[in-house]
Amino acid sequence: MWTWFHKFGSPPWLYSIAGSILRWLVPITVILLAVGAVWGLLYAPPDFRQGNSYRIMFVHVPASVVALAGYYVMATAGAVSLIWRMKMADIALRSCAPIGAMLTFLGLLSGAVWGKPTWGTWWVWDARVTSMLVLFFLYVGIIALYEAFDNEELAGKACAVLSLVGTVNIPIIYKSVDWWYSLHQPASIKFTEDSTMDGSMLRPLLLMIVAFYCLFASSLLLYMRSEILRRESSTNWVRKLVLAKAGQGSANAV
Amino acid sequence: MGRLLAACLRRQLLLAVRRPVEVVNPLVFFLLVVMLFPLGIGPDPRQLTEFAPAVLWIVALLATLLAVEGMFRGDFDDGTLEQLVLAPQPLFLPALTYVFAHWLLTGLPLTLLSPLFALMLQLPGKAIGTLMLSLLLGTAVLSLIGGIGAALTVGLKRGGILISLLIIPFYVPVLIFGSAAVQFAAAGNSAQPQLLVLGGMLSLAVALAPFAIAAGLRISVDAG
Amino acid sequence: MHPVRKQRLLIVCFIVVFSSVAAGLVTYGLRGNINLFFPPSEIVAGKAPIGQNIRLGGMVVDGSLKRSTDSLRVEFEVTDNRATVGVVYEGILPDLFGEGQGVVAAGKLDESGVLQATEVLAKHDENYMPPEVIEAMKEYQEAES
Repeated sequence: MWTWFHKFGSPPWLYSIAGSILRWLVPITVILLAVGAVWGLLYAPPDFRQGNSYRIMFVHVPASVVALAGYYVMATAGAVSLIWRMKMADIALRSCAPIGAMLTFLGLLSGAVWGKPTWGTWWVWDARVTSMLVLFFLYVGIIALYEAFDNEELAGKACAVLSLVGTVNIPIIYKSVDWWYSLHQPASIKFTEDSTMDGSMLRPLLLMIVAFYCLFASSLLLYMRSEILRRESSTNWVRKLVLAKAGQGSANAV
Repeated sequence: MGRLLAACLRRQLLLAVRRPVEVVNPLVFFLLVVMLFPLGIGPDPRQLTEFAPAVLWIVALLATLLAVEGMFRGDFDDGTLEQLVLAPQPLFLPALTYVFAHWLLTGLPLTLLSPLFALMLQLPGKAIGTLMLSLLLGTAVLSLIGGIGAALTVGLKRGGILISLLIIPFYVPVLIFGSAAVQFAAAGNSAQPQLLVLGGMLSLAVALAPFAIAAGLRISVDAG
Repeated sequence: MHPVRKQRLLIVCFIVVFSSVAAGLVTYGLRGNINLFFPPSEIVAGKAPIGQNIRLGGMVVDGSLKRSTDSLRVEFEVTDNRATVGVVYEGILPDLFGEGQGVVAAGKLDESGVLQATEVLAKHDENYMPPEVIEAMKEYQEAES
């Protein structure tokens, strides 16, 4: 029963299965992103209070949602790595961190761009923005810790431990910042209250969220594949793979 | 088991007593930085009073951050940590004694000296009790969380600023509630909810941190 | 008991005990109104402390605003449609303040149940809706009345 799970521990198997998934995942990602972006940026109706400047939400919300979900993906990989001592899980963890960091950064940047015309300020210390900033630092911390170790295996373990510590802390941090914000900003302006959204805007938003999830998955698989190749570069199966590709290349050139 | 823990604790405290400079340094740092704030803000007592809770808490946080770096370094360098990791007893309890000793030598003195700094920053007298209680609980949490960072980085050559980068995000909730407790007390409101939350954080940290610290120590001993 | 299992049992007990204490402390601590934010009905019911800084939120009662002629002192009433609390404030009211609009006032309650406000902020609503939907809703409301 567990054999399918343990297959994930085999680099060549993971490499090829990731390749097959990517073959259809990448086109889907591109299509979803394109459709969602056009729908949201051009066809969804303007907001009654914010006009057209709210459209950045179609980038900001998906990026932030997937950035947070990505952390839990990373932490799960960390847990798998520690419990089953699976090197591939280490690779997954290592690959998640920069992708998550970039998505968080995109979320923060798009949030700032949204904030300027809407509230007149590039930055505001509200609960969600501040929590997103902390999430960014959590990602950066994982990357920094990984780079600080000379031994890759120990680096993976250390980052796995750190990501699990982060998992426990994220809800605590969010709740604390939320409480802190409500204490000092007595609901005079609700910056990120978007619970009442009309269907014509909700639908493209949901599509963009799905598109971003696909984007995360494809980036993760691509990153993992290149990481696998890098680590296993001296093994036979990689050598065969490279020679086969080189053979194809020269055959095409000739 | 109990004898091992007592021996560990005794060793930590003895080593610290032999090098009192390492205990005094964070406190001097605390004093110096507290002095910087009025110099930066201005001597107006009303302004200082407004910032006092936050400043006291932030400086306590930074002082603790400076001090946690060395929590395991001494015993890592001379091989004691390796022996401890290889021992058959579970690692999480001796790890806890390291944190406890560290807190006795940094967090506790900080808490006891805080009224002095509070006076320098014009904190209202009625808030000093809350200040001390919040620091007592909070610095313990900071030491526990800091211990995780220290355990993960003790084997690295260039630990330094990395530990701050790793731990400061986790310090955020402690700072929020600690500072709020003192602010509430200074405004004449009860700080009981905040203090209870800090107590809860401490309990959770005691429940979970020792295991993360033990895992980190095993990793670092393998790396070093 | 097998020594390894004994160790695991010790670990599990340790975690469970301290996590439960943590949950208990946090629940007990957050049970009270940690934000000191009260709607008028709770203040009238006596749930808000007197003489301590609190925040009151609700709607400004139509026709209750009284401005003093020779100072910045204003008086108005705040309601949540179940009870009403009087507010006294000395200062400039924010632009978005108005009768029938949402408001948050911070200050101390005095013995007579009036809030001596030190800060008044106007409450702002955020709803994402296309202008046509707003128009349609208004028309519907007008047709109703």
